[in-house]
This record gives sequence, structure tokens and C-alpha cells, in this order.
Amino acid sequence: MSNQYVEMGLMAPVNVTWEVTYACNLSCIHCVSDSGRKKPGELTTEQCLQVIDTMSAMKVFQFNIGGGEPFMREDFPDLMDYSHEKGIVTCISTNGTLIDDEVAGRLAHKLVYMQVSLDGATPASNDAIRGKGSFRKALNALEFLSKRDIEVSVNTVLTKLSFPELDALVDLAASFGAKLRISRFRPSGRGKKNWSQLNVSREQMLSFSDWLSRHMVVSTGDSFFSVSHEDRRSLGLNMCGASKLTCCVSPLGEVYPCAFLQEREFLAGKLPEESFAEIWENSPIFHSFRDLEIKSCESCVRFDFCHGGCPAIAYHTQRRLGLPDPECLANCVSVKSLAAVGA
Amino acid sequence: MRSESVCLLNEGVQVRSERFGLLFYDYRGPRLYFLPTKDLIKDHFFNGKHTVSNLIEYICAKHREWPCLMVKKWLNHALDMLEGKGLIYEQSVC
Ligand SMILES: C[S@@+](CC[C@H](N)C(=O)[O-])C[C@H]1O[C@@H](n2cnc3c(N)ncnc32)[C@H](O)[C@@H]1O
Ligand code: SF4
Ligand code: SF4
Repeated sequence: MSNQYVEMGLMAPVNVTWEVTYACNLSCIHCVSDSGRKKPGELTTEQCLQVIDTMSAMKVFQFNIGGGEPFMREDFPDLMDYSHEKGIVTCISTNGTLIDDEVAGRLAHKLVYMQVSLDGATPASNDAIRGKGSFRKALNALEFLSKRDIEVSVNTVLTKLSFPELDALVDLAASFGAKLRISRFRPSGRGKKNWSQLNVSREQMLSFSDWLSRHMVVSTGDSFFSVSHEDRRSLGLNMCGASKLTCCVSPLGEVYPCAFLQEREFLAGKLPEESFAEIWENSPIFHSFRDLEIKSCESCVRFDFCHGGCPAIAYHTQRRLGLPDPECLANCVSVKSLAAVGA
Repeated sequence: MRSESVCLLNEGVQVRSERFGLLFYDYRGPRLYFLPTKDLIKDHFFNGKHTVSNLIEYICAKHREWPCLMVKKWLNHALDMLEGKGLIYEQSVC
């Protein structure tokens, strides 16, 4: 991935993570967005359509849809239809519980990617995180989706529980014609409270890094570049895309540099009251991320490969920006800074 | 790429103009492709309304200091590269 042009500043994000509601019918113990109940002030249908118009006018290519559980919104299929009409690709993350044959049929569109979340290859491990019965329901959803012409992947957060089952997860996903995508566990929302219980150990992170090298078909999507070996270099981005390639819109319309940096101090603006183009071009918060340099990493042999890693993990573990990602290959995962999250 | 052709985006490919030139997005990856053309080629060139020779004429008129043959070679090379990467295809208009 060429970074030179990204560093020059793009005129719009390539993709926008859009969390469409805080409402959720599950109560996962790692939930980064602390989801459960719909909050007052969530964007109305009309306002959501305005957001789609804005993004389409700026030629945003893709929405990464999350929440909460997107399917808790009654208008969700209509919002997706409208996004597709505008040519925007939608990558929808779901717990799968509300997907039946009819919903799967309604979703089938060439611009849709579905990501069904599974946090273990067995009911025991998955349901310990996502709640009783959630494994079976996610598998049902995969079954319905696999019968349709929809690109599907299984998304798993790397935790102590999913780590021993990675091979089984690859096979399980493949049995539905899906690929496995692994996300990095973030210490925010309920993830912060359960961080020490769930986050992988230093040894597991190192062993995961080797495992990734042996499984080039597994995608990581985000921010594992700090622990990826050189052989995965061609597979994706090797720098933080926050405010450069991507940003996040919360269910309330708040705009942040990234879904994992939804803190008051990173609030860049609010839709639909403020102009998204103006926020993207001129927000001081966004500029500070574009200019962010992880000085202490610059002399590292792996700097060109990871550029200091994920600022969100660094921020949540050390409460300051500009510090190195504590989980990186060069530092072999600093036990001290990870323990500092406390919670 | 023949002069009397138009260039169209392949299924799943989108393009937008950026300060450095053109940014292509291929949703089959998804992957991005950066083409540093500054403002010589605009994204709407790929909607099929203008031929390659229209574009050559436009660039040559805008940059009289550049030999047209050089512009033609450069443009053909850029378009061939996009075609080779599966981002665009050529359609003859005659
Ligand atoms: C917040 S959920 C929202 C969409 C939907 N409810 C679901 O579970 O897929 C989006 C993705 O984030 C993952 N996730 C939850 N908590 C996380 C955390 N602390 N760190 C990283 N990813 C997390 C979920 O497993 C899911 O794959
Ligand atoms: S991770 Fe998804 S399913 Fe689980 S509580 Fe959060 S929003 Fe709901
Ligand atoms: S802050 Fe981390 S998760 Fe967010 S875009 Fe940057 S690297 Fe990715």
C-alpha cells in the first residue's frame, strides 16, 4: 500500500465506520461500544439518509456498519438499499441473531459484505463472551447467508478464549464458504473492564503473529500490522488510517477519527448539524492525527512496517497519544504497559 | 488503447479525483490504486462520454509546451496499466 499519497491528505475518507445504533439484543462482555439500549438522540431515518447523501457527494467508497446491532433498527434494510443506490459498498457487522432467510434475501446485493461475529469455534468459548445461545444463532445466520449470493466472513476478536481455537475457526468459516477475519481486542467499552481476563498473553500474541504468517488467507482488517511479519506486508495497510483513510460516525452523529477512539477529547464534530466536508478538511482533531508521529519508534528496524502501531491501543493503555503501541513485535509485547490498563 | 475508444470502469470499481490524481477503489479486494496524474485525467473521463483522443486533445491544448506524441505515449501507458490491473476496459466507439 502506497502511503505517500495518503500522507498528502485525501479529499474524503475511503471508508467510514458508521455505528448506526447503541441498541443490542446481546450483552457481550468484551463489547467495545458498551452496547445494549438505544440512546436518546440517535440519528433518525431522515438524518441517516442525509448522512448517506453527504458521503455519496464526497465519493466515500465504503461504509463499515456496526453498532450496537444494526438489525435492531427497523429502517436498517432501507438505509442499506439507499446506500447501494448511491453506489456505496456496505460491510455489515452483525451478531447474526436477527438474520433469517427473509432478511438474508433482502440483503443480497453485489455491494454487500456481511461479517458475522463469532468469538470462538464452540458454544462454550463463544457463548462465554457473547451469551448463551448466541453461537447457535450466529451459525444459523451463516447458513442463511451462505445460501444467498452474498460475500460473508466470520469476524473473531483475538482473546484468550478464541486463541486456542483459531484453526477450528478457519475450518468453521470455510464450512459456510466464508473467510476468517480477526480483530484486535481493544480495551474500551466493556472490553476495558474485562481486559485482563480476556486479552492474550505476551506468548500468545507472539505465537499468533507466527500463526498469521502461516495463514495468509486469514484477514486482519485492522491494526495488527504492529505484530505482523514482513511476509504479510503486501496484504494491507501498514499505517494507522484514522483521519487519513477512515473515520467514524457514532449513532448520535458524532464524528471521531476512528471507531476505537470515541472519547470526548477526540470529538471532531457532529452530523447532520455540521458539514462533514468541513470536519474532514479542517478539524484540528483530524489534523492532529494526520500529523501524529510516534517519535520513540522512529529508530526501530520495523518502523517502516508499522509506523508505531495502533494509536487507539496506545491511548487506551497509556492514556496519551504519541506513545508506541505496547503490543508490538519489536518490543515483544511490553507486559508492563499492558498491565497498566488496570480496569 | 485505441484513440477512438472510451474507457469504462470494470464492475465493482469506483474512481474519484484527488489532489495527487486518481484514486481507484476495487471492491473485489477491497483494494486501492493510486494514479498520480494531478489534474490531467478527471474521474468523469471514465463515464464513457469522451474518447482517448478527446483526452489527448484536451491535455495537449492545456499544455502546449508538451509534445503531443509524448502525451499520447504517457496516456496510453497509464491507461494500459489500469486495464492490466483489471480496473478499466476499453470500448470502441466506431
Ligand atoms: C461492536 S460490534 C457491532 C456489530 C454487531 N453487534 C456484532 O457484534 O458484530 C462490531 C465488532 O466489534 C467486535 N468487538 C466487540 N468488542 C470489541 C473489542 N473490545 N475490541 C475489538 N473488537 C470488538 C465485535 O465482536 C464485532 O465483530
Ligand atoms: S459486540 Fe455486538 S453483539 Fe456484542 S454487545 Fe456489542 S454490539 Fe452487541
Ligand atoms: S487508531 Fe488503531 S484501529 Fe483506529 S485506524 Fe488507527 S490503527 Fe486502526
